[in-house]
Amino acid sequence: MKYIPQEIKSNVNVSAGSPLKEFGVTVLKLLGVLLAVYIILGLALDFITPRISLKLEQKIGNLLTFQLKNKKKLEGEDKLQKILDKLLVNASLPALDYKVHITEAKEINALAWPGGNIIVLSPLLKEVKSENEIAMVLAHELGHFAHRDHLRGLGRGLVLIVLSTVTLGADSPVSRFIGNVLSNVEMQFSQKQEKSADLFAVDLLYKTYGNAAGATDFLKKIAAREKLGRFFFFFSSHPYTPDRVRAIEERIRVKDYFVGKKTPIKFP
Amino acid sequence: MADLIQFLILFGIGYFIGTRVEKAHYNSIKSRETIYLSLPAVNTKNLIDKDKEIEKGELVSGSVVISADFFKLIVAGLRNILGGEVTSYETLVDRGRREAILRMKEKARDADLILNTRMETCQIKDFGIVEILAYGTAIYYKK
Repeated sequence: MKYIPQEIKSNVNVSAGSPLKEFGVTVLKLLGVLLAVYIILGLALDFITPRISLKLEQKIGNLLTFQLKNKKKLEGEDKLQKILDKLLVNASLPALDYKVHITEAKEINALAWPGGNIIVLSPLLKEVKSENEIAMVLAHELGHFAHRDHLRGLGRGLVLIVLSTVTLGADSPVSRFIGNVLSNVEMQFSQKQEKSADLFAVDLLYKTYGNAAGATDFLKKIAAREKLGRFFFFFSSHPYTPDRVRAIEERIRVKDYFVGKKTPIKFP
Repeated sequence: MADLIQFLILFGIGYFIGTRVEKAHYNSIKSRETIYLSLPAVNTKNLIDKDKEIEKGELVSGSVVISADFFKLIVAGLRNILGGEVTSYETLVDRGRREAILRMKEKARDADLILNTRMETCQIKDFGIVEILAYGTAIYYKK
């Protein structure tokens, strides 16, 4: 047998077609699937979660805050709890065990977690100058409990986290990217909830202190920090802050709430 | 946001640089393949010319480790969810196989024939990096 050297012209081992096109098609298919799962599961959970019993909610809350309960109490936690207890006397809320926790973090924020847990991120306390101001923040979170908003968010949030981590892994940049895009879509749902929590809060503040002073203090500080225009707030979880301030001021005017003196407070 | 920017930069680098690197590698493979065209590497055990006397036979091997670029990694990662052919890796392993064979032939530059050619592969790290090893028996006839 004689060996005749021959150049191979075609390559059956490499498929034809542009890799960019493959990327585009795969991404679109995947986004379609994820979106469908997200919408179906999200709707299902959104339907179920506001209907779960308080007992179950308390159990979920205990699970979520398990770590917070075991850690050492941070300074100021008792002070916050006292203010919260004052508010609770005047509020008609679902029968949960309402507790304030302080967590070290970078952002200024407070969160409503299932089971009556209010998480205050530590930098928020540095901004607060009066008891009325922090009471308004806590009352706003209580507003979420009153409307059971935190459970709606929980349903969709759970679906999002599960979807992106299970399919792509927690550390995958794709997962983070998809998570960002989807969470922006998801965020929009809660703008209305924020506004009604604000109104709940100003009513509760007045009921508790007989005085609506300090109701907009915290929001004004946040507004001063925000340099973005109104357009960007379309994609944010909270409505454009000056709009919120205006809505609260309007409420004070319409209900003719007395605006008196504030009680100064200082957190270490 | 920073994550997204980092992702897009890596993705862009992966695509543009990765495509250029691949093109350059293919050009190099093709020109070297023409040079070594006259040295057959076959996978049969016995194809020796009975009329010629063998001077020596030796084990020769060539191995290469190639990594996918970030773009390929992402496309393959997405493919990993939906299933199907991972075409973005096809060029990667194709280059690997041909490069390994070439290196083996370069090792046996003056041989007349490479018998019993075998190929093996393994992944290095989790994914995206592949080693391909080609080895065989180089036969040198007495001149």
